Formats: sequence, C-alpha cells, structure tokens
Amino acid sequence: MPAFPARVRALLVLLLLSAAAGPAQAAPRPVAAAPALLPDAGPAPRLRRPDADRLRDLRGQREFQYEEAITQPEQSAWDAFWARVRDAIGNWLVSRSYNHFWRWIFYGLFVVAGVFIVLRLLEIDFTAMLGRSPRRAALAYDTMAENIHEVDFATRLAEAEAAGNWRLAVRLGYLQLLKTLADGGLINWQPDKTNHAYLAELPAAGPLRGAFREATRQFEYVWYGELALTAPLYAQVRAGHQALRAQLGRSYSNTSR
Amino acid sequence: MEPENLDPISQSPTPASFETPAIPVAAETAASAAATGPENAFAPRTDFARLTAQTEAIRTEIGKIIVGQTDLLELLLTAVLADGHVLLEGVPGVAKTLMAKLLARTLAVPFSRIQFTPDLMPSDVLGTSVFRQNKADFEFRPGPIFASVVLIDEINRAPAKTQSALFEVMEERTVTQDGTTYAMQEPFLVLATQNPVEQEGTYRLPEAQLDRFLFKLHVGYPTLAEEVQILQGHHSGFGGTNLEAVQPILSAADLAQLRQQVRQQRVEANILEYIAKLVGQTRAHKSLYLGASPRASLALLNGAKALAALRGRDFVTPEDVQFLAPSVLRHRIMLTPEREMEGGTPDEVVKQIIQSVEVPR
Repeated sequence: MPAFPARVRALLVLLLLSAAAGPAQAAPRPVAAAPALLPDAGPAPRLRRPDADRLRDLRGQREFQYEEAITQPEQSAWDAFWARVRDAIGNWLVSRSYNHFWRWIFYGLFVVAGVFIVLRLLEIDFTAMLGRSPRRAALAYDTMAENIHEVDFATRLAEAEAAGNWRLAVRLGYLQLLKTLADGGLINWQPDKTNHAYLAELPAAGPLRGAFREATRQFEYVWYGELALTAPLYAQVRAGHQALRAQLGRSYSNTSR
Repeated sequence: MEPENLDPISQSPTPASFETPAIPVAAETAASAAATGPENAFAPRTDFARLTAQTEAIRTEIGKIIVGQTDLLELLLTAVLADGHVLLEGVPGVAKTLMAKLLARTLAVPFSRIQFTPDLMPSDVLGTSVFRQNKADFEFRPGPIFASVVLIDEINRAPAKTQSALFEVMEERTVTQDGTTYAMQEPFLVLATQNPVEQEGTYRLPEAQLDRFLFKLHVGYPTLAEEVQILQGHHSGFGGTNLEAVQPILSAADLAQLRQQVRQQRVEANILEYIAKLVGQTRAHKSLYLGASPRASLALLNGAKALAALRGRDFVTPEDVQFLAPSVLRHRIMLTPEREMEGGTPDEVVKQIIQSVEVPR
C-alpha cells in the first residue's frame, strides 16, 4: 500500500476532527419518575370568619355607606359667575362660530397694530396707560415764576420806583410793553421767543417798530448788560415806554373805529 | 509746515513780517466816543472799535474769494475769538478746506496742514524722538501739530488710534512725548473738515474728541444767486483760489488782546441759568441717548461772549445763546436708535429744547 503524502494525511485528520466536532445526536436521557405526594400529616386549617355582629355594626357606619347621595358644596356668587363664563365659552367653542375663531384673532391683531401705530405717530407714551412708568420723564415746559398776563404791573412798578430799584422798574415796564403788544395782537407771545423775534413781528412801516427797537435796546442794556441807572435816566426810559404805550393805544382806537 | 513750527514751543511764533494793519485813528476815536459818550448812555462800555475793524477786514479779505457763507464766517470768527476749535462738515466741493485755509491766512501766525489718511500714525501728527548718533541721545522732532493754526483736512479719514493723539493737545494744549510735556504756542486753533460719515472710507470720530470742538458747523450749498456769482468770477478769469490775494489781518498779539476783551464780557446771572437749563435739557430729553457735558455749557458761554463782542455788545443776550446752541450742541449729543430710525436729527432736537425753555427777561 503506497504511503499517503503528508498533506493528504493532514487533510484526512482535519476531516475526521470536524466530523467529531459536529452536532452530535444526544442520546435520550432516562426520565426521572416524579416523587409521590405525601399525605399532610399536620392539623386541618382553621377558617377565620368575621363576627356577624361586628359585620352588622360596620354596615351601619357612615363610612361604609357607599350609596349615600353626594351633596354639592355651597357655590359663591363669584364662582357661579365664572362657572357661567366657562360654560358660555365652552358652548361657543363647540358651536359653529368656533370655525371663525382664527379670523377673529387676526381682526384683533390688526386693531392692536393700528392703535399702536396711531399712538406712535402721536408720540403718546402708552406704557404709562399699562401702569408702567414712562422710560424718561417728558420735558416739562420750563417756565419762570412770572406770567405777564397775570402780573399787576401798576402796583409792582410803583413798588419798584418807590424802592429806587430802577433796573427792576425798567424790566417791568418792558414786560408791560410786551403785554400791550400781545393784547393788541401785534406780537404772538411765546415764552421761548427773544426780544428781536418780537421786533421782527412788528410791521416794518411806521414808527412803532423804531420805538420798540429803542425800548428793547434800553431794556437789554439795563437788564442783561447790568447798566447802572440814575433817576433821570430811568425817567427817560419810562417816558419812552409811556409814549410807546400811548401810541399803541391810539393804534387800537384807530383800528377799532 | 512752516519752518518756524519746528522751533521749541516756548518761543514766540509770530514772525516779524506779519504786521497788523493800522486802523484809522480818527474813525476809532469817533466810534469810541459814540459808544461811551454821555449823550448815549445805552452803549457798550467796552471799546470794540478795534475788534470791529479787524473782524470786518477779515470778512473783506475772505470775501475776495468766498462768495456768501456770511453766517459761517461769523461763527468761525466767533470761534477764533472764543479760543475754540472748529469742525467743518459738508459734502465735497462746498469750500470747507478753502474757507479754513483763508481764515488761517488772515491770521498772521504759523500755519500747518495735515491731510488725514487711513494709514496715518499718531507720531505723524505729534512728532517723534529720533536718535542722534553724534550725541548719543534722542531728539524730539515736533510733528505738524506744532503750529498756531492747524488745518486737519478730512479728519474722519483716520481711525480712532490716530484721532486719540489729538485728545491731549486739543484740550490741554500740550503734547507729552517720552515723559516730556511740550506746551503749544498761543494761539492754538484746530480747524478740521470732514465729509458726512455715511460716505465710504470714513470713521466716526470718538465722542471725547467731538466734545473738544467748540463748534461743529455745517457748510451748505450756495444759493442760486451766489452760485451764479461764483460762475461769473470763474468765467472772468478769477480762479477763486488765489490765496495770495488774502492779506494777514490779525497777529498773535492782536488776537490775545481781543480774546482778553471777550473774556471780560458781562453775563447776567439769568443768562448763565438759561445756558445751564438748555444744556441740562439734553440730558433728560427722551430722544437723546447721550446729553451734552458741562464742557458744552462752557463752550456756549464762551461762544456767546465772543459773538456778543462781534455784534458790538459788551453783554450777552439770550439771542446770542440761541444762535450758537445748535453749533455747540449738535456734535455733543447722541440720538436714541429709535429717533435715528425715524429720521430725526440732532438739530431738530436742539430746536425742540430751545423752544421748551423760557427766555429769561
């Protein structure tokens, strides 16, 4: 018998080994017999039964009356109101108008946007309406202590002249002139206007403008320029003021005719 | 830059060749008598004849070349008298630089011009220390800022780094380099021009620097008649840029004397309160994010004193304050973003503020 080459022998060994490692048919094991139940050798169990009287007693207690009618708690008027509101909303939501719900939402948004734009255009700080303090305090109109339409010029002029306070007297006289011009409709009184703004409002023709220009110059030198006045100089200024007021009075009377 | 600008700063900068034109003595005396004579008690107690004559001469000299712009010129003269720097803003071609050059030419003081560019360095403006090999030490070489009138053209072309080099010199009139402080010569006036910031290649000036300008002036377009006059002048062969035609009027000494007069102007207590109220309102206005500083109040006061002198008065009136308020405040306030988006301007807000404060009388 010829000898097998080494490779063939190795292959045969592998085949044999693989055959041995394959799934082997396990031999059926013998089934062990179940152990036989032994009879209970202990005492017979004792059944516990509740006492009939006790059961009857329990049945009579309120906690065990499951079929007792539940009474509604007392409802306040406020709760009743909100209950009705909730019912109304619930009824509306289940009704046909709920189909237009989003349409009403859009209408509402449009209205809010419109109001917002109008308030912005009018520069109204609507945050104050919502209970918030405005971001910055609005500019209050900054007024001096006096209002020329409320000053009693005759009395105050007399007081200033009696005290020899010529500077204050010139000022009061000039303010009185401005009041006369404003009352006559010749100037439009605005606290932020300067004297020369009023001068520009007077008619260019006629002596009125020239006289007011001179009065303005005198006032500015005395009041802003702190020019020290003497009694004669004050008399000169006062005479100018009175002449101008008389001229204005004549103008009014001519106009009224 | 003029050669004398490189001299040590302690020396007097006024060249001897600059002489103040003589004012006719008779006219000056007559004007003085008219102003202070017993027959007219309501007249200035300060003699403004020299000031009036010299400022009129400056107007005449500049008027040889510039057509119109009378308000602008009055404000520029006010700044010169009030010792304040001016920022001129306007679109290209409205003679901002020319106006600044002409004004500088009427002042017989050293002048230099710096063209601001994006790559300008602080040392290009202030100067730098260079090493001297022969003496083995450093020598400070002053920059072009060392002059009496400095024209900074297109100031907003340089970034904030270069702008900040001007902070010290504009406010304190000194330059500190390598631990040494150099004082600027008197007068020291910065005239800067800029195009509106929305144009390309420009930077917004820092707020701290804007606050150092006494006025920010808008240079607008000429009227139709003025533009026709410009065209006629150009057509007839007068180019409009012949700077040699403008003669120096004020020397440094003259200017110092006029400024001394301006400082002595009378200001009534109610006017001071009026200025404070106007500036104070900028800090409470709902349209403003940043209000004006106390430096603005001082600027308004100094400007009003100078303007009153220019108008021949020795006291300040509310009219002076109202006239100057926009120029003093417009660059010192910042609008809220909301107001800016609504198209509001600082001038509108200043106008509202003026309308909200009662004129003292």
